[in-house]
Amino acid sequence: MSDPSALTTEALAAIAQAPGEDALAKVELEYLGRKSGRVSRLLANIGQLPPAEKAALGKAANEAKRAIEAALAARRAELEQARLADLAETEAIDVTFPGPPLGRGHIHVLTQVRRQIETVLESLGYQVELGPEVETEWYNFEALNITAGHPARENWDSFYFSPELLLRAHTSPVQIRAMQRIKEPPIYIITPGRCYRRDAPEATRLPYFSQVEGLAVDRGMTVGDMKGTLLYMIQSLYGADRKVRVRPSYFPFTEPSFEFDVSCGICGGMGCKSCRHKGWLEVGGCGMVHPQVLRNGGIDPSQWNGYAWGFGIERMAMLKHDVDDIRLFYEPDLRFLEQF
Amino acid sequence: MRISYEWLGDFLDLEGLTPKDAADVLTRQGVEVESLTMVDLSAIVIGKVLEQTKHPKSRNDLWVHQVDLGGRVQQIIAGAPNAVPGSLVPVALPGTTVPNGKVVKDMNIAGYQASGMLCSASELLLGDDHSGILILDRGTPGQSLTTVIPSQAIMEAEVTSNRPDCMGHLGIARELGAGLDRPMKRDFMPAFTGTADPPGRDLVRVSIEDPELCSRYIGGVITGVRVGPSPDWMQRRLRASAVRPINNIVDITNYVLLEYAQPLHAFDLAKLKGPAIEVRRARDRERLLGLDGVERELTTDMLVIADAERPVALAGVIGGEETAVTEATTDILLESATFSGPSIRQTSRALGLRTEASARFERALPPELALAGARRAASLIAELAGGKVHRDWADVYPRPQEPVRVNIRPSLIDDVLGTHVPLQEAEAILKRLNFHVKVRGDGEWDVLPPVFRLDVAIPEDLVEEVGRVYGYDRVAPTLPGRRHDRWTPLAPSMDRRLDDGREVLAGAGFTETWTPALVSGTKLESLRIAAHAMRVLNALSDDMDTLRTSLLPSLFDAVALNRDRGRDEVRLYEIATAFLARVGEKNAQPEEPLRLAAVATAGTTAQEGEDGFRALKSVLDGRQLGYIGEVHPAVAAQSKLDGRVVAFEIDVEPVLGAAHVPRAQPLPRFPGVERDLAVVVEDAVAAGAVLLAIKESAGEMLEHARAFDEYHGAQVPEGHKSIAFTLTFRSPERTLTDAEVDTVMAEIRLGLEKRHRARFRE
Repeated sequence: MSDPSALTTEALAAIAQAPGEDALAKVELEYLGRKSGRVSRLLANIGQLPPAEKAALGKAANEAKRAIEAALAARRAELEQARLADLAETEAIDVTFPGPPLGRGHIHVLTQVRRQIETVLESLGYQVELGPEVETEWYNFEALNITAGHPARENWDSFYFSPELLLRAHTSPVQIRAMQRIKEPPIYIITPGRCYRRDAPEATRLPYFSQVEGLAVDRGMTVGDMKGTLLYMIQSLYGADRKVRVRPSYFPFTEPSFEFDVSCGICGGMGCKSCRHKGWLEVGGCGMVHPQVLRNGGIDPSQWNGYAWGFGIERMAMLKHDVDDIRLFYEPDLRFLEQF
Repeated sequence: MRISYEWLGDFLDLEGLTPKDAADVLTRQGVEVESLTMVDLSAIVIGKVLEQTKHPKSRNDLWVHQVDLGGRVQQIIAGAPNAVPGSLVPVALPGTTVPNGKVVKDMNIAGYQASGMLCSASELLLGDDHSGILILDRGTPGQSLTTVIPSQAIMEAEVTSNRPDCMGHLGIARELGAGLDRPMKRDFMPAFTGTADPPGRDLVRVSIEDPELCSRYIGGVITGVRVGPSPDWMQRRLRASAVRPINNIVDITNYVLLEYAQPLHAFDLAKLKGPAIEVRRARDRERLLGLDGVERELTTDMLVIADAERPVALAGVIGGEETAVTEATTDILLESATFSGPSIRQTSRALGLRTEASARFERALPPELALAGARRAASLIAELAGGKVHRDWADVYPRPQEPVRVNIRPSLIDDVLGTHVPLQEAEAILKRLNFHVKVRGDGEWDVLPPVFRLDVAIPEDLVEEVGRVYGYDRVAPTLPGRRHDRWTPLAPSMDRRLDDGREVLAGAGFTETWTPALVSGTKLESLRIAAHAMRVLNALSDDMDTLRTSLLPSLFDAVALNRDRGRDEVRLYEIATAFLARVGEKNAQPEEPLRLAAVATAGTTAQEGEDGFRALKSVLDGRQLGYIGEVHPAVAAQSKLDGRVVAFEIDVEPVLGAAHVPRAQPLPRFPGVERDLAVVVEDAVAAGAVLLAIKESAGEMLEHARAFDEYHGAQVPEGHKSIAFTLTFRSPERTLTDAEVDTVMAEIRLGLEKRHRARFRE
């Protein structure tokens, strides 16, 4: 029969020297194994001892057991810590080796840009309105003050199905339809959608393209409000350092009319090659809604006024992503589509 | 519109101003200057040709010149023969950069030294003429060319369609003057210089058939002119505007067009039969030989100028060759008229002939401009070609221009702009733009626009006039906002509602495309989906002449395109409208269902095709909304698709309509029991039918059932297949025992045996 304290000393020495988990498990089995462990056996034999010795030895044996258990746990923690410390070396992998391809598809860049534009303008309280792409002559032209024979008509050379029916040249007809439907301002809408003009395809324009127009009709609207709205939109899309400039221009459906430019993102307006030394990049048109157009939409211009603006989604995407040929957007080439 | 900066100095003091400043003012005010080309002539010197001999060795036509450069003589070789001895010419010496960008170097051409270059007008950017050396009419050898020709700045400006008055240098100068607050040197309406007898209207009869098409026709008579070349300064300005000089009379009409924007035409009065002028529609099949040497057949909707017998000009577009001014001409009829814009545009389009004149008439010129232009031209002709300007010209003016008065409450300016423009400043701006402003007792303004501005009609037009000169950069950006007592709650846009679908498709490996809605009608017909197709009347080309009735043909083309570019596996989709004509309803707008279509390549074997079909089907998740299938081999071949292709197309609206907000279900409290079941049935029995039978027999305990494998082979009888299902049983109240599930499984087997004569594999 061994002496518990000698047993403890022996066990603790073995534990301290155990190089790893296997050795520790062996030590644990040798001393604490349920049937044949040396400490276990000591405890099992206590029953046969005289009562006087029983209490003292029992206490000593239990202390030995606790001491060995504690030493085992401590040594295990020590070994685990050492293992984790070496993990970076023992389990090193080649982090540059690629993972398996996810095979995820891509959402079209024009969808992404349109979504961004909608999100920005919805944050100002504008709602999306949609309308037909095949329009009547009245909605596409007459209602917008572009009467037959108007010299500006050549800017909207259109595809016709009959003298009455054509592919819309802009999303402006949706403005008229929205005013007629909503009837009573305030009206804050945006009208994304496809448009068509009879222009031969080239790097900067196509016979089909996509526009977003905005329309705000309320009381006491000003050119300043229009400028602020454009600036908020442009800064939200391109960054807070961008500036917006409005230049007087002419559209039959707005008075006054403007084109709006955004400061060049490369030179910040100083003039560089990419903005053709102008410092500004043309984005779209805008203006205060012509009173006759309000009347055509059923709105009383003596009570309400408003502003409208429009631009090509492709143009926005070209500015944002450095696309230099508009045709790429409509050519379903995966080598292009997968870049976004 | 091409603007010569130097020319603007005729009308306005340009002291202290650079061409760049001028371009900025114009752009800020609404005449967008798109490019500014500086032509620096200071390094070019004047030379006098002393000798000209043909280069003896060169095979090309080269000429060797000895040129006096003021005290020294240089040998210079040129390819044009027109610099004859005695000519004054512009010379670029070695080391000089010529305005067109060329750097001149010392050269040796076949044994002859060439020290410099004789310049053409086009090399100096003084015009488009590159046929010969520019010959100067004055100058001192050795001095800078700028002593006779000032350095130039050429602006290309975009004039909006409402401002035909800015299609001339006078109008541009007026804009610039208003912006700079500098007075014009010259009045808009020149004085009339005609005094000669007899009265002009006695020398030619003028009549207008349709006042709708011609609201004014002035026929000025000038007799005894000497036709010859126009002066050098005039030729130079014409060249700078890309107009070829012809003779002094024709040059003056073109010069005044570039000044006033009023097109003019000069007839040889002696060649006009009558002499009479009749402004009328062309008669059917009438022909006219134009000044461009082209004979055209006219149609009855074209307006012509005719004499007593025949058309002599196509009104507002081009003059006739037969009545043109020549060296022999002594008496001329100067035409200055106002034609209807739409009519001129229609004629110009029909003939594919756009001229400086038609480009201006198209925009509807004011009749008062016709008088100003005629007077200016007459005085220039008298000055430069001699001749007597007759008094009392024929001036048929059936529709006199009505003065437009606009009343404006001046506070409207601040209200619309959103900034404060002092009243005096607003009034001063309008006056600088030649508007008359009368302040009425009630504070409103009674404003009379100048006669050359037909585009101003409503108070908002005046706000724009003030705003653009005041400067929109002085209007601070603001966001609108006031208390609203009404609003529309935000409804998610169609795009937003489709976002989930796009994410699902992206996750399944599909890439979105945007393809054109205009496709080939012939192709739709060959695919037999053209019944509701709408064909464009004025298509640009055959492959874009019809609105698509389905997105699939575009996607098939997209697959072929990507295959051509080396992609084997292609998965694409598009969300766009299809267009379906409402047959039998004239002028009705078509149905425009929003569609989602997808296409995927699916290998080459039947099994790969089937797998592809199933993969695509799982994207749709079993909804029945449109077409899904493998593309028919005939269609695939037509679309140049190698291999198998699967595709679907669905209407989006019903899907979005069926969308519902998920309601949370309590999580299961008891474990489920899973069993597999291999059902052997005849080949003709569909998996869907077997599944239905399973569900009917199983009762409430069956939570979920799904087919996961299909097997043909040795262990299954001929003409049969084995479909493996996995079934999940669960009770919301207790843990099911094996015995309970066995009972249900027995029911299922029994049902399948009865319904589908099924057998079972272990």
